Amino acid sequence: MSDVVKLPPVTRRTALKAGSVVLGGALFTSSALLTACSGDRAAPPASTAGISTEDAQLLEEIADAILPTTPASPGARAAGVAPIVALLVNDCYDAPAQRRIRDGLQAFRALCVDRCGGAFTRLSPSERETLLAGVDAEAVKAGDAHWFHLARELSLRAYFSSETGMTQALRYVRVPGRWTGCLPLQPGQPAWG
Amino acid sequence: MPQPNTSYDAIVIGSGISGGWAAKELCEKGLKTLVLERGRNVEHLKDYPTALLAPWELPHKGATPRALLDANPLISKAAGYGEDTAHFFVKDADHPYEQEKPFDWIRGYQVGGKSLTWGRACQRWSPHEFVAPERLGYGMNWPIGYDDVADWYTHVERFVGVCGAADGLEAMPDGDFLPPFDFNCAELHLRDALRRRYRDRHVVQGRWAQLSEPREIHLQQGRGTCQARNLCMRGCPYGGYFSSVSSTLPWAQKTGNLTIRPDSVVHSILYDEVKGKASGVRVIDAHTQAITEYRARIIFVNASALNSTLILLNSTSRRFPNGLGNDAGVLGRYVAFHNYRASAHGALDGLEDRYFYGRNPTECILVNFRNLGKQDADFVGGYTTFTGGYRTRGVDAATRLGGTYKDAQAQPGPWGLYMYMQGETVPKYDNHVRLHDTLKDPFGIPRLVTSVGYDDNDEAMIRDWLTQANEMLAAAGCRDVESRDNHQAPGLDIHEMGGCRMGRDPRTSMLNAWNQLHAVPNVFVTDGACMTSTGNQSPSILYMALTARAANHAVEELARQNL
Repeated sequence: MSDVVKLPPVTRRTALKAGSVVLGGALFTSSALLTACSGDRAAPPASTAGISTEDAQLLEEIADAILPTTPASPGARAAGVAPIVALLVNDCYDAPAQRRIRDGLQAFRALCVDRCGGAFTRLSPSERETLLAGVDAEAVKAGDAHWFHLARELSLRAYFSSETGMTQALRYVRVPGRWTGCLPLQPGQPAWG
Repeated sequence: MPQPNTSYDAIVIGSGISGGWAAKELCEKGLKTLVLERGRNVEHLKDYPTALLAPWELPHKGATPRALLDANPLISKAAGYGEDTAHFFVKDADHPYEQEKPFDWIRGYQVGGKSLTWGRACQRWSPHEFVAPERLGYGMNWPIGYDDVADWYTHVERFVGVCGAADGLEAMPDGDFLPPFDFNCAELHLRDALRRRYRDRHVVQGRWAQLSEPREIHLQQGRGTCQARNLCMRGCPYGGYFSSVSSTLPWAQKTGNLTIRPDSVVHSILYDEVKGKASGVRVIDAHTQAITEYRARIIFVNASALNSTLILLNSTSRRFPNGLGNDAGVLGRYVAFHNYRASAHGALDGLEDRYFYGRNPTECILVNFRNLGKQDADFVGGYTTFTGGYRTRGVDAATRLGGTYKDAQAQPGPWGLYMYMQGETVPKYDNHVRLHDTLKDPFGIPRLVTSVGYDDNDEAMIRDWLTQANEMLAAAGCRDVESRDNHQAPGLDIHEMGGCRMGRDPRTSMLNAWNQLHAVPNVFVTDGACMTSTGNQSPSILYMALTARAANHAVEELARQNL
């Protein structure tokens, strides 16, 4: 199951709350682009205790395992998602979400040592993938409150809103010049950014 | 009192979509015109700081920082609000008001007003919409009908540049349109499916203030073809959509007759008890709080529906202790809006081999089919449905991480169809705004109290719309159809109307057939405040048409020495 196709449709009236956006009509479904930050808006303002640079770098490594470099496009590390992840968490997420990420990463570091005998960054790509697949399975079982759902959401958001994600994985045309409503999809053509 | 220091032929209060039109028409006819705008100055091209930014060039990549949300819990609900557009919306703290009932009052305080961030929908009213309230027993007749405004619609469409097809539909008349935008293939599918299943469900291109193919008049304004960027609300460096800032105000400026004063908060309209006319406007400087009075022969009130009403309520004199022209006690009453609560969507299988190019700034419309000229539903009024087809991003993959997963996320996903309603609401005496007895805004002007809510008719309309939308999406072959009533407060539609309504009878209305205050004929109110009923079409172009019509009438009346 992909994570971005199940978003609700949006109208110009609800766009910025729904995780995808219509601006004046066309609908771009993207968990990453032009969306309001997640979190309960009644929650207290973001605390100063967001995530550290080290946390953001670890999240970039996790993001790169979820979204690695392929022949089609560079991955999350190459896209440099760490600063974007830090911005999103620290400026946009509410305090409970920040805490969930922080605590989750702390537990994850311990888990890496426990299960693989070392830091995540010292594991091979296949070890990383296996480990994260296990964490993901636990997260699916545990439900919405598990930190790894946020890590996945951040990975997708940060990557697909980065210049690399928007232009090399997706195709973003700054000035399309015209609208053509119905065209054949070319073989292998990526989605529009 | 400070002495008047400046005189003009005309004063226009507000520089938004209707104020811009008043300025253009009056200046073109040779009147020295002062436009007062409470917000800051915004100039075309120069003051669009985010217009050319790609998503990744925005500080938070388009996400909205919590600090912005926490400081502005109200305005940040508005459609289109984000870090790329926040500078064109009022800050919550700038103009507090009191919600006796929940009401989201969305405002844009700058030269250009909300014309910078509007939805750009420009459908004409059908002839039915002017007469339905009285004929079908849910309101008062307008003092004018479709024939009175038809030529003014044309006048406005030509200058604004409105794209749309000639559909020949009774519920949404044709106009003088530029070529429409294309349907995408999902929309063509929807159109055809509804055509097969129903006789009365027409999916057509909406009418949008978007230059699909500019004409000479648009090039003369310095505007060019819409580039299909769909970033309109940031201000368009191509002039691809219409705003006061890109069109009417610079046009008025070219006549040499226009003076724009930003940062000028109108306190009240001055009434000359001897002459029995309005004589000018009292203005507070937004920065220095200094008070200045400006004089003019005619005054156009275009401050947006509720702010125009507020100014009139605050314009008291011995003759008008309850607000200017308010002999009947209806000023601030009969406030209505559009019902946007319901929406629906579903996934559409197939068409995987079809795609589109560009970012479409327009939407399709499913034209009103309820209570059109006759009562045929268990509620009164009609509804327009905006609809469209979208293509999601990302397809199912065998894994939830890794290269296959990533590449799958970058592929075009399934298509879907969405619909949302824009329903007529019934103007009622009880739905009103008034001045607060004691609380003031930062300029010492009484705060507005909003007391506007939904009624049983709105609930019945929502039920019907949801039933019909579910049925139509199913008829189009959608799966996983979901529909919802978001219970949003009135006001978030940003289509608030009324408060100073037009009517034939001065005992039940504020304005005559030319938008003049019955009791003070040199004051014209031509924004949303004037609306006698809401119809089901997007209202802005009617404000523009009524403004142009009233301005030309004002000029004629001045020439006849009647004002």
